[in-house]
Amino acid sequence: MHNVLGDRKAIAILLGPALLVYTLVMLAPVLWSLALTLFDGNALFGFEYVGFDNIAALAGDPRILSALGFTIRYAIVITVGQVLLGYLLSLLYVFALRRASVIVRTLVFFPVVLPTVAVALMFQQLFAIAPRDGLVNELLNVFGIASVDWFGSPETAFWVIVIMDIWRSMGFYAVLLYAGLVDIPEDVIESARLDGASGWRLVRHIVLPLSLPVLLSSVIFSINGTLKVFDSVLALTNGGPGDSTTPLTLYMFQTSFTYGEYGYGSTIALVLTVLCLGVTLLIFRSSRDDITKAAR
Amino acid sequence: MDNRRTRRSWRPGMTAAVATIVVALAGCAGGGSGSAADSNGGVDSFGLLINDDNQIVQDALTSLSENACSAENGALPLEIETTPQSGLDQQLQLRGGQDALPAQFAASGSPVVTKQLDEAGQTLDLEQALTDLGVRDGIEPAAISTIENLYGGLIVLPYQFNIEGVWYNKELFAENGIDVPATWSEFVDAAATLDAAGVTALSASGEQGWPITRLVSGYLYRELGPDALQEVADGEAKLTDPEYVAAAQAIADLGAAGYFGEGVGSIDYDTSVAQFLTGEAGMFYMGSWALGAFNDPAQNQIGEDNIGFFPLPEVEGGAGTADQIPANVGLPIAVSANGYNEEVGAWLGCIVDNYGSTSLGEQGTISGFTVNDEVSGVPPLTELVQDTISSTTESTLWFEALFGAKATTTSQQNAAPLVTGALSAEEFMAKVQADLDSE
Amino acid sequence: MSATKTFTVDATARTPRAVTARTRRISKILRALPVRILVAVLLVIEIYPLVWLVLGSFKTQNEFLTEPSWALPSQVNFDNYVAAWTEGDVGSYIRTSLLATVPSLALIIVFGVAAGFALEVLVWKGRNQVLLAFLVGIMVPGQMILLPLFTAYFELGLAGTLWPLIITYTATGLPLTVFMMATYFRAVPREVFEAAALDGASVLRSFWSIGFPMVRNAVFTVALVQFFFIWNDLLIALTFITGRDLRTIQVGLLTFSGEFGQTAYGPLFAAICINVLGVLVLYLFLNQRVMKGLTAGSVKG
Repeated sequence: MHNVLGDRKAIAILLGPALLVYTLVMLAPVLWSLALTLFDGNALFGFEYVGFDNIAALAGDPRILSALGFTIRYAIVITVGQVLLGYLLSLLYVFALRRASVIVRTLVFFPVVLPTVAVALMFQQLFAIAPRDGLVNELLNVFGIASVDWFGSPETAFWVIVIMDIWRSMGFYAVLLYAGLVDIPEDVIESARLDGASGWRLVRHIVLPLSLPVLLSSVIFSINGTLKVFDSVLALTNGGPGDSTTPLTLYMFQTSFTYGEYGYGSTIALVLTVLCLGVTLLIFRSSRDDITKAAR
Repeated sequence: MDNRRTRRSWRPGMTAAVATIVVALAGCAGGGSGSAADSNGGVDSFGLLINDDNQIVQDALTSLSENACSAENGALPLEIETTPQSGLDQQLQLRGGQDALPAQFAASGSPVVTKQLDEAGQTLDLEQALTDLGVRDGIEPAAISTIENLYGGLIVLPYQFNIEGVWYNKELFAENGIDVPATWSEFVDAAATLDAAGVTALSASGEQGWPITRLVSGYLYRELGPDALQEVADGEAKLTDPEYVAAAQAIADLGAAGYFGEGVGSIDYDTSVAQFLTGEAGMFYMGSWALGAFNDPAQNQIGEDNIGFFPLPEVEGGAGTADQIPANVGLPIAVSANGYNEEVGAWLGCIVDNYGSTSLGEQGTISGFTVNDEVSGVPPLTELVQDTISSTTESTLWFEALFGAKATTTSQQNAAPLVTGALSAEEFMAKVQADLDSE
Repeated sequence: MSATKTFTVDATARTPRAVTARTRRISKILRALPVRILVAVLLVIEIYPLVWLVLGSFKTQNEFLTEPSWALPSQVNFDNYVAAWTEGDVGSYIRTSLLATVPSLALIIVFGVAAGFALEVLVWKGRNQVLLAFLVGIMVPGQMILLPLFTAYFELGLAGTLWPLIITYTATGLPLTVFMMATYFRAVPREVFEAAALDGASVLRSFWSIGFPMVRNAVFTVALVQFFFIWNDLLIALTFITGRDLRTIQVGLLTFSGEFGQTAYGPLFAAICINVLGVLVLYLFLNQRVMKGLTAGSVKG
């Protein structure tokens, strides 16, 4: 029987295409890109071997620090925001809305399918101050607050990005987490209720621990996505004002394609990759025990 | 646009797709459409790789291909290929690396990259080629000197010829008793008067950045003379030197006083034009490419007659004078050295002979080519610019003209923070200088 | 293999029908009114910007620049839509996006489901390592592979076609798909396949006629997720697409502007609206299938 389920030819046919594409289009370029970090130059003007100069250059580059800082701050804030709000929404769907939740779920989920560029342009207008106040400033004015130049200072620009991305994605995380909540066996909740647990106590002591695995998946999923943030920042602030909202991804893109420094661009990509792998492994390691326990 | 290409790239059927990927990745596939050069070293079409946002050149060349140059177009058809501005340099690098640039290409927004392309042997020496074709006289001397000044030699075609300065609303100036400023302090006073009168003194796009950095360079040229930025490029001076920081400070002061209005960082180019043309702003520093908008009654609500022009005024005690006006040839279009052949030569000859009239007659824009056919009904503002061009003896560059790509980006990105006060003048100049040092 | 469990994004596993009984009682605790207000606020936040978008699509450039942003358009005509469709090339952007998305999605699903099956159901040495290799791919940022692929596609003569997009989307979509599918196959009792094997079915046969149908609903979920990733992608499209005729909708919108950077707001908003409506139809269709999958509950853990 195991002979049949271990049929080499079948394995090759089933796994082959995926593995081949994956290897050629992802793994091989990663190695190629690693090699590029040792060179300086670009396709037009030729490459020059510079050893570890690019990596050494990281230390003296103030922009890499600010890009790294922005990326990490963004990833943390967005992940907390979208997973937390998504979770609250999913609790709302499951425990308060019941059947009506399909419509709400669909409507709240919808923004995630909109083109990022479209949403970003829309938010630019919502938060506009010039030439005319956008909706947000008009609202502030109603309450007697002066208009804010949202994209004029690094801090406010950051929060507009955060608001936009959470607006876009909380419905998506709500659906992911909703699926996890629906998954919780009814008898568990039933017996907890018999023990006198109710309301938020029920959520805190029964629902939350049981949905921990899917929460963790969401967090990892979210961190992975947010560390790689590109579209929304590019379209909303293009990294500005100045370079204050430039994440690593955008800095890499500019370095490679605008400045024509392929080697240093690859080096920045390497920093980003190490960051993604490191963070994921960290979360994964630190919580694996909890998960297996909770999953059982 | 090109259906043939798209169709080839898409075949239904999973097997075909899988097979193609495998074959392609194994390195056996060919037959893409990226290459423009055939084995004889010439091109099989009169290609033009250009920023998609530059409509003027595309329209004028298309018009030529249908009219004056239809014979040349029959021999070697015009094929326009557009790319987002952000992707242009990347295209140039890759295709230049393959010697596969089309017959004509926009040679980067940064003259430094244009010069690199020249050094890499990608651009045709037009001095030689146009002389051989006997049409070199078809380019205005002023345009030639601007090109040589910028790019080190005649390697690009002057499809546009622009000057820059301050456009002002005559009515607003008269209402507030403002005379055309002759000095920087009068300029600042004029801004203060307009601001007090409740209009935006200076309309500027901080989103683009360059309209602001051009004020910095304008001040520099007036303060230190026309070599101010060449000295930085040559390493004889640094932007962090006090006299350079003073220029950034002068512009930062305009911002601190609120003369650019609210939210300058999010004002895009169109908005800045609209602010001026709807009478919300009294002054507008811009190049003469804006004539298209000025001459368009739908956009221009203050009226053509109501717009005046003055060069950026002199700084008291400065080495520069107001008749040194920034000039450029717009987006530089180079001709591929590898793709050049007889048919391309024929096209070039036709362009030099006819582009000037077509551009002026059909679009009301000024090119660096001589106008060989009588063009009637030129709008007065366009005439004003023509007169200014012909009386200009010495031209200057824009702030980033001699910078590499990285310093250019940094400068333009940080222009808005400079005038909103998020960055100090010292910090702004230090950032740009740091990138210049690393290039 | 406890590792895979954490990546379960399991939207298909159980029927919500069983849940209603208990939720009814729990919901009694929550008073109805605050919930309704909460939902109302939520929907306003999510939907009003879109209404505003539609209103904007009827405004003229001057209205955009000079009227308050909440103002209603002065007329309802489709000039902006015509401009977006003809001058703005929106039709061609959408076609390109579909031509890139659909084949990529099909390849991702076929390759990914097959690989998930091979990695989870089949028994062979080294499968954990291969699964781990795919896991790495989930974390590798696109930036890491851009430069080499850029050069490779050009050398292969694929630049200027849609192949770079299709190939890259397929490759970047595979890791997550393989992982999710492996997880779904874990939920299918092994006995099913062992019994099939005893009955003499070949592996390929039991994959095609037993495995695939059993995770069919999961496939819709995965396809939905991947569709949004690909449709919303800007990075890959921006890097590999150069000609105007091959722009995807994202790149098209980003470059939806005139010379020297000005934006034509009216046509732009119209272009966005066209896309939103297209996506809405597609989404409602796909969403219905996923909901069906949820209620059918054909995969039991």
